[in-house]
Amino acid sequence: MTLNRRSLVPALVGLCLAMAPAARAHHSQSEYDLRAKVEVEGTVTKVEWKSPHVWIYVDVTDDRGQTVNWSFELPSPVTLMRRGWTRDSLKPGERVSVSGAPARNHPAIAIANAMRDAGGNPLFTGTTKVYEP
Amino acid sequence: MRTTERSSPSRRTSTVGALWPLMLLFVWATGPGLVRAQWLDYPTPGIPRLADGSPDLKAPAPRTPDGRPDFSGMWFANVPARDYCREEDCIQEERMAREQINLGITLEGGLPYTEWSREQMKIRGANGGREDPHSYCMPPNFPRAWTLPQHTRLVQTPGMMVMLHEFNGAYREVYLDGRPLPVNPNPTWNGYSTGHWDGDTLVIETNGIRDDMWLDIQGSPVTESARVTERLTRPALGLMQVEIAVDDPRAYTRPWAVTIEMALQVDTQMLEEICMDNERDTALYK
Repeated sequence: MTLNRRSLVPALVGLCLAMAPAARAHHSQSEYDLRAKVEVEGTVTKVEWKSPHVWIYVDVTDDRGQTVNWSFELPSPVTLMRRGWTRDSLKPGERVSVSGAPARNHPAIAIANAMRDAGGNPLFTGTTKVYEP
Repeated sequence: MRTTERSSPSRRTSTVGALWPLMLLFVWATGPGLVRAQWLDYPTPGIPRLADGSPDLKAPAPRTPDGRPDFSGMWFANVPARDYCREEDCIQEERMAREQINLGITLEGGLPYTEWSREQMKIRGANGGREDPHSYCMPPNFPRAWTLPQHTRLVQTPGMMVMLHEFNGAYREVYLDGRPLPVNPNPTWNGYSTGHWDGDTLVIETNGIRDDMWLDIQGSPVTESARVTERLTRPALGLMQVEIAVDDPRAYTRPWAVTIEMALQVDTQMLEEICMDNERDTALYK
């Protein structure tokens, strides 16, 4: 089979789909505006290490000195545990920086795409150990 | 080898110092359970291993005493173990089968939807797929369950194949005792399944599936009129092929079949994932 310019683009798209090792979610994330971005720093107040998704709550002080308690959604505890994280990996009182996408219709709620601790170390990233057959 | 070694150990304090004899005494007194509450890296016993200790996944598939292939074990879609979440902004990236999004992705021309199916998919796709039963913590219905990002454990006995699925602690029974499929069954999430052997292939026939089931994230339907046939083969210890054939004249203009590769999961364990425990997303849809 030869590829001309017209067939190359769909072929490359198909190749990318075929090779995709991961996807962003296995359910709807339409409650979030994935094109928008929120970035905050604050203090962890609570960690809910429960299915179907982990939630982490962070006190953030805004420009007017008001403290707002943000809720951040993470993947499932099962996904994070298979990456090597546990319910004790982050505790209330610790400082974190978080970036994510905000909920469309609810204030101070977002889905977390990146999280770092006070030392700048990434949190909750990593891969699952897998043996390939 | 845990892959987050660079970050998680650095968060531990190193104040054990002179306390280690006391800690040893505590460990001895309390047993190993408290020290390691999970067995995520506990070596799976009874499988062939290479010189470096890793499992020999290309070894022949095990067999039962009566000579049948033994499919028992934990399985997950054969997705490469690539470093897919090493950088920033990737917490949400999950390892999952491409067929989870579109079960017919490998079929030339895709799944042969009927007009009724196309209308259903328009409805199901509205609002970003919020109507997906999976989003509402409904059960992991087979054959979709093969592609979900949770593990399935097969427990093979002479008269029954039991399928345990992590999501919601679900189970499926496949009768291997020769009984026929029920006539006019009450529809259920997994339907009713019987299996028989075709050489080294386990052939599973299913009817009695509910009308409102989804086969993938994009909402491909399967209905009460469906007859689903799964053909399981295990070419090696670490690999299982599942051919999924669907004959559903209400949803598809012709019968079709796709094959999904499953990889044996070793040195790990099933993890409980009860979806309704703390489901909060659906409230945010409003």
